Amino acid sequence: MSVTQLESAEIQLEAPSGLWSDAWRRLVRNPAAIIGFVLVALFILTALFAELIAPYDPREQNLALLQGSCCPGPSAEHWFGVDDLGRDQFSRVVYGARFSLLIGVVAVTVGVTFGLLLGATSGFFGGKIDTLIMRLMDIMLAIPGLLLAIGIAAMLGPGLLSIMIAIGVVNIPIFARLLRGSVLGQKGNDFVLAARAVGVPRRTILVSHILPNSISPVIVAATLALATAIIDAAGLGFLGLGPQDPSTPEWGTMLTGTVRYLQTAPHLAIIPGLAIVVSVLGFNLIGDGLREALDPKLRGRA
Amino acid sequence: MLRFVVRRLLLLVPILLGLSILVFLWVRALPGDPAAALLGERATEASIEQVREQYGLDRPVYVQYFAYLRLVIVDRNLGTSIESRRPITEEISRRFPATIELAVASLIFAIVLGIPLGFFAAKRYGGVFDNASLVGSLLGISIPIFFLALILKWIFAVELGLFPTIGRQSVEINVDHPTNFYVLDAVIALDPVAFADAIWHLVLPAIALGSIPLAIIARITRAAVLDVQNEDYVRTARAKGLASSIVDRRHIFRNAMLPVVTIIGLQTGLLLSGAILTETVFAIPGMGSWLAEAIEARDYPVLQGGILFVAIVFVLVNLVVDVTYALVDPRVRLS
Repeated sequence: MSVTQLESAEIQLEAPSGLWSDAWRRLVRNPAAIIGFVLVALFILTALFAELIAPYDPREQNLALLQGSCCPGPSAEHWFGVDDLGRDQFSRVVYGARFSLLIGVVAVTVGVTFGLLLGATSGFFGGKIDTLIMRLMDIMLAIPGLLLAIGIAAMLGPGLLSIMIAIGVVNIPIFARLLRGSVLGQKGNDFVLAARAVGVPRRTILVSHILPNSISPVIVAATLALATAIIDAAGLGFLGLGPQDPSTPEWGTMLTGTVRYLQTAPHLAIIPGLAIVVSVLGFNLIGDGLREALDPKLRGRA
Repeated sequence: MLRFVVRRLLLLVPILLGLSILVFLWVRALPGDPAAALLGERATEASIEQVREQYGLDRPVYVQYFAYLRLVIVDRNLGTSIESRRPITEEISRRFPATIELAVASLIFAIVLGIPLGFFAAKRYGGVFDNASLVGSLLGISIPIFFLALILKWIFAVELGLFPTIGRQSVEINVDHPTNFYVLDAVIALDPVAFADAIWHLVLPAIALGSIPLAIIARITRAAVLDVQNEDYVRTARAKGLASSIVDRRHIFRNAMLPVVTIIGLQTGLLLSGAILTETVFAIPGMGSWLAEAIEARDYPVLQGGILFVAIVFVLVNLVVDVTYALVDPRVRLS
């Protein structure tokens, strides 16, 4: 091993660890963030163990329950009532958590991954690459988010996968811009200059010096993007771009036909809607807590 | 300043050209085609071919694109809807005012309520009102617009019957629509009943669409006031014995408004996105519901023209926001 390599290895060892433990300490002392964690844990557990929690098959129709009227409200057998095809609303909401979680996680992963790649490349290399990537991002941002998502989902054909891709793509320019700005901000820092001075390769500087320091706004944005992704997914489902099989218990899709029953069976709209609000609120509370915890201006305060 | 505006307007050209190519390719990548959608399931091959020929859809894509560019730039025409057979520009002139009216109403609702809310929350930092407004604003951004719209419609229109359930005006109202901004049209016609009716139809959709901007504006105002409150010039103003209402108004409020102005400008995209959902719930014939329907019908000209139009408006609004920001804040130099 050459001296430069040794030295660069040493420099990489000094990763900032104080920020994270410090942030964690502040996060767990924030009551709002704790509520957020509880809500999100509830949401994830429901999604994971839907089979065990749901008393009925979410797709099983039981028209006998309707008896000519739509639709029986909450009862001992059906906690959240039944929908217009006699399906158990509670089981549908429980299974719906699975779809919302899946869509949210995949969509945000797509957005963060590509946004990270594009933003880091753009910010680190600058010049023509930067101009090209950022103009492309500008074009994407020139279309209102939901319209872009509708467009992509329509192009791919309705379905869960297209919703995930559509929302993910909408997130790409947001993360690309965020990361580019962050990388540009880090580029001029003394520790980057020092790493360059001792001959650390450019890629290593990007991966082990700049990215770890640029990542905290990305984590905050990703948590908040999860919340938005769940809302957008429900919005696309509501507009009829959801899963191809309309019996799929996706929260947004469940809300689609409920306008007709607002007078007779408002629970059909309220319950899936509340499920969305609760899970989105959870991610928003965590995201907010994270933002405060990671804010360098607030460091050191309890 | 002028140079900045001109440069930004010039930058609009490559963005719009790029966007027009993307939109053009995108509509053709949609599964299905407008001829089949128009003629229905029982259309014969021959009749589909005929419609495709009529709209020039049988030509190579690049020929179609240049023909379209020619149409837009030389003839100042966005084409004709395949579905309704009406000129796109005419449709836009009817639908765009509906969306703008809704967006402006929601923004007014959000600003008028959000700024005082944020201001008082900051003034009573850490108190009950402050905490309540924090929780409220977090809840505000967590409720999907269409769900809030459904709930508002259920409680205030269906159950209580206080507001109309759908549309922009009641059937018995009869005024001319020279601008298609119904509120404005009622003013022009000097018809107080029509005016009240138009406002009445706007209330619930505006609250639904304005909920998220309201939450965001309140939060930003609160944060900005908290920041400014601790500045030296505020302390100086207080020290020299100015009344606290004057310090609030002249020193804190004015300086705290800078980030608020920016954030208000950034709501445009959100409002346009949200309008699609709000218009759907309240059956308002605006741009959002129009474009959503056009995707369903594979109405190529409507999608091309409509999306380009929305993008132009969006980019122009952003430009206006940037310029306003520079006018309000002498520290910002546009370059």
